[in-house]
Amino acid sequence: MKALVVSDDINFLKQACTLVNGKAEYDAVYVGEGRVSGVGASTLYTVKKGTPYDAVADGILEIMGNYDIIVAGSTEFGREVAGYIAGKTGYYAATEIFSLEFSNGKAKTKRFFYGGKTVIEEESDAKVFTVAPGVIEAKEFESKPEEKDLPIKPSKVRVNKVVPKNAGGVRLEDAKIIVSVGRGIGSKENISKIEPLVNAVKGELAGSRPVCMDYGWLSEDRQVGLSGKKVSPKLYIALGISGQIQHIAGMRNSKTVIAINKDKNAPIFQECDYGIVGDIFAIVPKIVEELKK
Amino acid sequence: MVNVIVLIKQIIDIDQMKTDSEGKPILSGIPYRVENLSKNAIEAAVQLKEKNGGKVTGIIFGTEASTAAMKEAYAMGVDEGIIITGYKGSNPIVTAKAITSILKNLQYDIVVLGDQSADSYTGMLPGLLSAMTGFPLLGNANSITINGRSVRITQVGEAENAEIEADMPAIVSVTQEINQPRLPPVLQIMAAGRKPIRMEKYDGSFSNVNVISNLAPKSERKKKIFEKVDEGIPEIVKVIKEEMR
Ligand SMILES: Cc1cc2nc3c(=O)[nH]c(=O)nc-3n(C[C@H](O)[C@H](O)[C@H](O)COP(=O)(O)OP(=O)(O)OC[C@H]3O[C@@H](n4cnc5c(N)ncnc54)[C@H](O)[C@@H]3O)c2cc1C
Repeated sequence: MKALVVSDDINFLKQACTLVNGKAEYDAVYVGEGRVSGVGASTLYTVKKGTPYDAVADGILEIMGNYDIIVAGSTEFGREVAGYIAGKTGYYAATEIFSLEFSNGKAKTKRFFYGGKTVIEEESDAKVFTVAPGVIEAKEFESKPEEKDLPIKPSKVRVNKVVPKNAGGVRLEDAKIIVSVGRGIGSKENISKIEPLVNAVKGELAGSRPVCMDYGWLSEDRQVGLSGKKVSPKLYIALGISGQIQHIAGMRNSKTVIAINKDKNAPIFQECDYGIVGDIFAIVPKIVEELKK
Repeated sequence: MVNVIVLIKQIIDIDQMKTDSEGKPILSGIPYRVENLSKNAIEAAVQLKEKNGGKVTGIIFGTEASTAAMKEAYAMGVDEGIIITGYKGSNPIVTAKAITSILKNLQYDIVVLGDQSADSYTGMLPGLLSAMTGFPLLGNANSITINGRSVRITQVGEAENAEIEADMPAIVSVTQEINQPRLPPVLQIMAAGRKPIRMEKYDGSFSNVNVISNLAPKSERKKKIFEKVDEGIPEIVKVIKEEMR
């Protein structure tokens, strides 16, 4: 079996390669800048950053005869490419998967369904796959791939301007410790009360959707959940987060989860290893104090 | 004047859905509703009409029971509606085929849809439709403007936003942040109930997909909850120190 793994994000590319590694031989397409190493592919196609989905997908269709399956990282670009290829070929697409096995020519996959409330395990004749972001821990593979250019086709989309969201860009997916705040934080100003803890544990700050999206207390790229980042740190500390299923879907793969919430019936207490029922503003300073000892 | 098509998905109200002791979803008695991003898509389509003049046609691939969703769309400002019956479950390629079978007989400038739906989250439909119609996709828009014969959007990406455009007809998928869907006034809701809906049938075969299981994920968390703060803090500090090593 031979796979072509595609992404416009180096980490998604590595996660997708990690999923495929050992199950199929694979080549990779990277749409972006900079040197790519550690993906373990035999051939690496590089494409200029910002190339529209149709130009890349039509290029892939040209070389598709060499491959049995296409695996894309589930970024906006990855989903567009995967959808387009599925539409042109008529292949079934298994999407947002976090587990993949092959037996008897069939693909066995797992993905979240009903907004994260269930996991669907399916067996299908899928030949197109998108890999859920952040669920698989990306491994580094030794390889010296042969580098080639992908035949790029004309696009119907004109790109006028690209604006980076914020320089540096947080990589929650790679964080070892995450301190995540929910609506219980109350205001943007209150985030400074949590920062001493973030510093003390050398963690990254993250938030639930209301905090990142609705109120903008944190930037969008710090949102954890179904429609945000899927993270898998060693330690996830949830402060004033109720633990709705859409949030859990993003942090379920954390190794250890600590929750602090003043409502003892909050669903987060069903999804944590250690919990304290109480006020974050009273408890967090005490934890920081103890950590300094 | 623009001729806008909006694709609407009807889903079960997943917030109300629970799973039983074996982890199986309990679906009986759960009401249907218009899917979250579909509401943003309807709002975006109606705003395009309000700004540029024209007409909005709603399409639902669903069942006979989808009339309630279409009436909601009418109340929000959708002018005409087509329900394609024959939906048997989430399978984007079947949905794309059902929708293109209707689209090919319609005149339109823009097709608006949600970028990913709240239940299955496949995010495949925008790309599928682009491939099947041959029209460009402007994906994950948080703003749409029409300029003569071209459509321009701001595309929200993971690391950056892009200003992109294409000639019409085009397919535009929208984010949840593009707008705040309107709550229609009572009079409009009542009027919507009397508006006719065109019914079509799609008899599509499903690809070879076999659902092995669909269960709530098991939580193997320790769930050591401290109601006494003073007992909890030392324990949690110990765990943090352990994980920091
Ligand atoms: C399609 C879809 C996608 C979604 N995607 C995401 C996503 O990616 N990420 C996400 O997070 N959500 C997502 N959501 C939203 C999700 O359903 C919840 O609404 C959201 O997670 C709730 O955020 P919260 O826990 O911060 O707020 P709330 O649910 O309001 O919880 C706040 C909690 O703080 C506690 N609290 C208040 N004050 C204090 C205090 N002083 N000390 C301690 N505790 C306190 C309260 O007891 C409460 O439990 C999505 C929803 C939909 C429909």
